[in-house]
Amino acid sequence: MEGGNVIDEHGPAGAPTLARAPLPPRAEYVVIGAGVMGLSIAYHLARRGVTDVVVIDRGYLAEGASGRNGGGIRQQWSTELNIRLMQQSVELCRRFAVELGVNVWFRQGGYLFLARTAAEVQRLERNIALQNRCGVATRMLDAGAAGDIVPELSLDGVVAAAYNPTDGILFPWPFLWGYARQAAALGVQLHTHTPVVRIDAGTTGYRVHTPRGEVVARRLICAAGAWTPEVARMIDVEVPTWPIRHEICSSEPLKPFLKPMVSELSSGLYCSQSMRGEIVGGVTVPGHGSTYSMASTLEFVATYARRLVRLMPRLGDVKILRQWAGPYDCSPDGNPILGAPPEHPDFYVACGFVGHGFMMAPVIGKLYADWLTGDAPHEIFQRSTLARFRDGAGAGDKEDFNIG
Amino acid sequence: MRAFEGESVAAALFASGTRVLARSLKYHRPRTFFCMSGHCSGCLVRADGVPNLRACQIPCRPGLEIQGQNAYPSPDFDILGAVDFFFAGGMDHHTLMTGSRLLNKVANKVVRQLSGLGTLPGHDDAVAPEVRSIEVDVCVIGAGPAGLAAAAAAARAGAHVLCLDEQLRAGGSLLTDPRHGVAAADAAVRDVHDAGAGLIAGACAIAFYPEDAAGGVLAVAAPDGLLRVRARRWVWASGGYPVNLLFGDNDRPGVMAARGVGRLLVQHRVLAGGRICVVEDPGVAAYAGALAAALHAAGAEVERVAADAVERVRGRSWVKAVQLRTGKKIDCDLVAVAAVPSPASEGPRQHGCAVTLDPPRGGFRVVVDDDGHTTVADVLACGDVTGHLGPDAAAAMGARVGAVAAAEACP
Amino acid sequence: MSKIVVCRCEDVTLADLEHSVARGYHDIEEVKRYTGFGTGPCQGKECVAVVACALARLTGAAPATVPPFTSRPPLAPTPLRWFVRDPAAHRFADDRGDDADDGAAPATDEEA
Repeated sequence: MEGGNVIDEHGPAGAPTLARAPLPPRAEYVVIGAGVMGLSIAYHLARRGVTDVVVIDRGYLAEGASGRNGGGIRQQWSTELNIRLMQQSVELCRRFAVELGVNVWFRQGGYLFLARTAAEVQRLERNIALQNRCGVATRMLDAGAAGDIVPELSLDGVVAAAYNPTDGILFPWPFLWGYARQAAALGVQLHTHTPVVRIDAGTTGYRVHTPRGEVVARRLICAAGAWTPEVARMIDVEVPTWPIRHEICSSEPLKPFLKPMVSELSSGLYCSQSMRGEIVGGVTVPGHGSTYSMASTLEFVATYARRLVRLMPRLGDVKILRQWAGPYDCSPDGNPILGAPPEHPDFYVACGFVGHGFMMAPVIGKLYADWLTGDAPHEIFQRSTLARFRDGAGAGDKEDFNIG
Repeated sequence: MRAFEGESVAAALFASGTRVLARSLKYHRPRTFFCMSGHCSGCLVRADGVPNLRACQIPCRPGLEIQGQNAYPSPDFDILGAVDFFFAGGMDHHTLMTGSRLLNKVANKVVRQLSGLGTLPGHDDAVAPEVRSIEVDVCVIGAGPAGLAAAAAAARAGAHVLCLDEQLRAGGSLLTDPRHGVAAADAAVRDVHDAGAGLIAGACAIAFYPEDAAGGVLAVAAPDGLLRVRARRWVWASGGYPVNLLFGDNDRPGVMAARGVGRLLVQHRVLAGGRICVVEDPGVAAYAGALAAALHAAGAEVERVAADAVERVRGRSWVKAVQLRTGKKIDCDLVAVAAVPSPASEGPRQHGCAVTLDPPRGGFRVVVDDDGHTTVADVLACGDVTGHLGPDAAAAMGARVGAVAAAEACP
Repeated sequence: MSKIVVCRCEDVTLADLEHSVARGYHDIEEVKRYTGFGTGPCQGKECVAVVACALARLTGAAPATVPPFTSRPPLAPTPLRWFVRDPAAHRFADDRGDDADDGAAPATDEEA
């Protein structure tokens, strides 16, 4: 079956990206999770010549957090490591469409963080100083200057704002299609609808059981996001992360008017205008515990509406088109967990990104593949060990800017 | 423009000869009325400064300002319509212009400027209406033949009943069907009132939120504000959506859902065309026949053809002819597409009710037993949402299911 | 040359569905994301069954094995202002008593 006369710059479809064949008996690497993190690692492994890679996912492509986030890409962080990683990620995002042959609609309209209290201003000032030292041109604006960037803002109660013009937004799904398609073209096998039900650790590797058959991996990479603890528990590894439902919604498409991503520190409200013209955003809804439930709530959409209409009164008659939820993958110190535990040196994890794994994935996947194929590990792998929660050594700086 | 107060803007526009209202998102193809029941995106207009409102769901009132959208310079003549010719077979916008960074940068800028439907509302003083909470024994969603019968039966059995309908006027498919019509709809509505049930028209059940309250809460966008409804038993009688059939240029203005044509004729007394071609699925032949006869009686020339005989339609800004696979052309100024309505099962799905794809019965029908029980304990369903039945069978099922719901809610 | 449109909100054609399936995206959720069908103002009311039937034909699957995509709230486009005074809306520290409508019930009435 061919794609009719659809104009596709890649020409005829060729081999489909998603495999329908049975699982192979063995693979050098099995990656659990076909989200952006797993696919980025698989793609970069293949780019480094390691193509005996099988990626499996329990659901459809983009079912997890990678298909559910708002597509924000920013360099405004509170730790030097995260700032420097995101500088690299932004560069990779700028090149992504051409390198991987798929539009991600990356638009660097900036990120505008609004402060309503002196304490919030102090927090922004401290971060800006660090960001400037790293070469990120974030600057402090007074309320009037923030209003010049977004005239629709109601500045009542806004004291100051942090603005970095090179932050931006993109459309998340094409990252998965791009990585998946190029990885598949290099020989990586992708199997969706293939949930892991059991893992046997043996001397020759890990036997991964699924309803679609078994595959033995010499090395196992768990990129299952918020579901990482459930996978790790199959081989008795405890990962101290937990899922938090984060809700988000999208409006009707409107002609372009909103340039930056706007975020308000006091409520965790954030919103941006997508390439399709929709206002996409969310808000913090405090007081809920850990859950895998992805049900939408009235509490969320009411909280979001209340805060957004207060901040931008002209949006009062803008209509919500759909709302959904995804899991934030929370870690005790707000920093990710990477690498393998000592007792399982061939079981690698990549989790605990607290809702920001998507924007980190382009660079983390590349660094991970570089390390696995023989390069010296980047600093982040030494800082982000699972062992830090066992020996109390800590990961160094605590990231406190996990918002928006 | 002259209109009857309370009549929908769409009906008034149609009667006054307005045809193309807007252009589509990707190919800038002309867009206009299709379903006339508030479900499709055909008749989106800007009304009093608010973008993307469905003309068929806006009641006319003096001074209301209506504008077309997403077209340069006007919906009738739009230069971006050229996009449609360049990509005659379609395009994969995911790979478009990814050949070089410069080209890609241009693509990003251009697409951003072309994106979106409608511009931001002009005012910043929109009033936030009060939100009210209601608890009832039985909540019936939909006031078509099934829902009205269910609400009346449940109320007669002693239950405290609230019936909701998203249309400006209750009656559902009765108002699109010349075999029933306004008098039949009004009689069924009167029966609901006589039985003591509450009925709100223009109130759209927008979501069932399972975790916001014990047992969940139904959010309803009523004419005067949001309602939070809780009920012991839910009865989904949401009917079916008018859908299109697959033939070439099936989105041309002038191709309308037969039910939309029926609603114009039966509810609004507007004859939608002079030479009408009814393209029909055999599953709704009885309705198509009744509609064709009524259109003919109202003065139109009518020709009926089977859906699988149709190759494509002809005409650009408005349909001119239906071309059959045999090569024969039927000249017309309106095509009425009579497809099996697609069960409106989104709400039951939010409750967790099982559905199954059943093409002869219109789509994803809610799975029910003889008493209308779904796979979820406190949720029942009746009428076309359980698979296409037609008005008479839907009403009979509604009466049965309404009584069951009342008995379970008030044991 | 004519187009056979399956989703009029997003201009998705039957050829686009075939293209998506040829790319390996068979699952209705994947097809939704790749083609964009069902993501416009009608949120799939007009197209989800039409597309599901077409996918069953294109992939040879029995119709009963093709599920719909997840139904997301709201079922009709709803203005933000409709939700603003909902009692479930969380009140933040800077949000207390600054609206005329705050005489409304407190946030957690439903569980009581």
